[in-house]
Amino acid sequence: MPVLVEEPALLSKSRLRSDFVAHNVKLHLKHIDHRNAAEFSSDEEEDVQDEAEKEEKPEEAEMPDPSGLTDDDLKAALLRHGFKPGPIVASTRALYEKKLRRLLRSNGHNLLNAAEKVMYSASEEEEEEEEEENGEDDDAESGAEEEKQEAAEQSDEAQPGSSQVQAGSQTVAADASSSFTSPVFSITEMVEEMESRGSLSTSSNTVREFNGSNGQEHCSGSSRLDTPVVDNSSMKNHSVYCTPRTSPHKRGMKPPREPVIDTFKDLLPAETTPTGIYATRRRPIKGAAGRPVQYAYPDTPFSPTTLERRVVERRLVPIHIRFLFFLVMACILYLIYELV
Amino acid sequence: MSSTSQKHRDFVAEPMGEKTVMALAGIGEVLGKRLEEKGFDKAYVVLGQFLVLKKDEELFRDWLKDSCMANSKQQKDCFCCLKEWCDAFL
Repeated sequence: MPVLVEEPALLSKSRLRSDFVAHNVKLHLKHIDHRNAAEFSSDEEEDVQDEAEKEEKPEEAEMPDPSGLTDDDLKAALLRHGFKPGPIVASTRALYEKKLRRLLRSNGHNLLNAAEKVMYSASEEEEEEEEEENGEDDDAESGAEEEKQEAAEQSDEAQPGSSQVQAGSQTVAADASSSFTSPVFSITEMVEEMESRGSLSTSSNTVREFNGSNGQEHCSGSSRLDTPVVDNSSMKNHSVYCTPRTSPHKRGMKPPREPVIDTFKDLLPAETTPTGIYATRRRPIKGAAGRPVQYAYPDTPFSPTTLERRVVERRLVPIHIRFLFFLVMACILYLIYELV
Repeated sequence: MSSTSQKHRDFVAEPMGEKTVMALAGIGEVLGKRLEEKGFDKAYVVLGQFLVLKKDEELFRDWLKDSCMANSKQQKDCFCCLKEWCDAFL
């Protein structure tokens, strides 16, 4: 290497760095040699010494032996390492020497690490470039593989998911079907009848049948209690009964249901409607929109609770009698206790 | 206050005057004897050393270790004691 005596400023950056590193490594090694000669590998020493011999630096003077330094030199060395010492007197000298040694050791280690990092980073960059070039091809392949894997994973996930969904739907369908079976049985019947008849009127008919069957209960119940009402309106019933009978929509009505439906039809208006749809008049809201308040609703059916209560009350003793009986008994007992 | 000993509190409470080195926190009979042999017979001499080392903890503790073989806790106690005294009176 021709570079024997050169200004540090003229050296290239990498050369400076390597030289500095080498120098410090060399210094470090020299310092360490004092203590542990066997610790360092021979390779480093050889490489370092070749470069170190070519350049001389003033820093060599302070080196390995702080105790050989003068007070001023010791102070300078400490300052160079970033530590500001106090007066170096007899009592403090030993301490500062120890401090300097510690600093040298730590600095040497830091520089070594930094140098290694620098060297490794340079090599890493080269390796990275190569890896990138190779990696592009690999990436394409790996990307395809990843996509396949992802697709496979997704499909795998989807399959159980879809199976779950299917299972869920099946269960839902099963539930729905089961739920629908019982109450909709009548609806399906009605639908079939609709289809067979093939007109809206039939649907109304079936609806009325349905309602008729529901109304049968309370009609029968009401018939017991409200027989007078029924008798009075029998003429009305007949009239009501006759008109539906004559209507063409009345095909589905069965004869036994006629009396029951008659009472039920008390609620229905006497006039027939073209569609055959009958709707009960809704009870007007009391006092709303200036409508006349109707306090009495003679045709309203009684609820089952009221009917039961009336039945029970007929069997029990009335309240007035009970009260009188109580008073009588109280008086009797009072008299008895007074006399005795 | 619970972290400092009574000795510490006593020393920091007033100017040290002519107190012996054993009045310092962390310095007992044995350590005190060793310091006296080295020439540090009064607390203010140790204070002098403390100040010469520019109140640096590491250096002072090293010095204590070297001169009287104080352990880590004793070093810490002495350093804290002197530091606090300086904060109060110096």
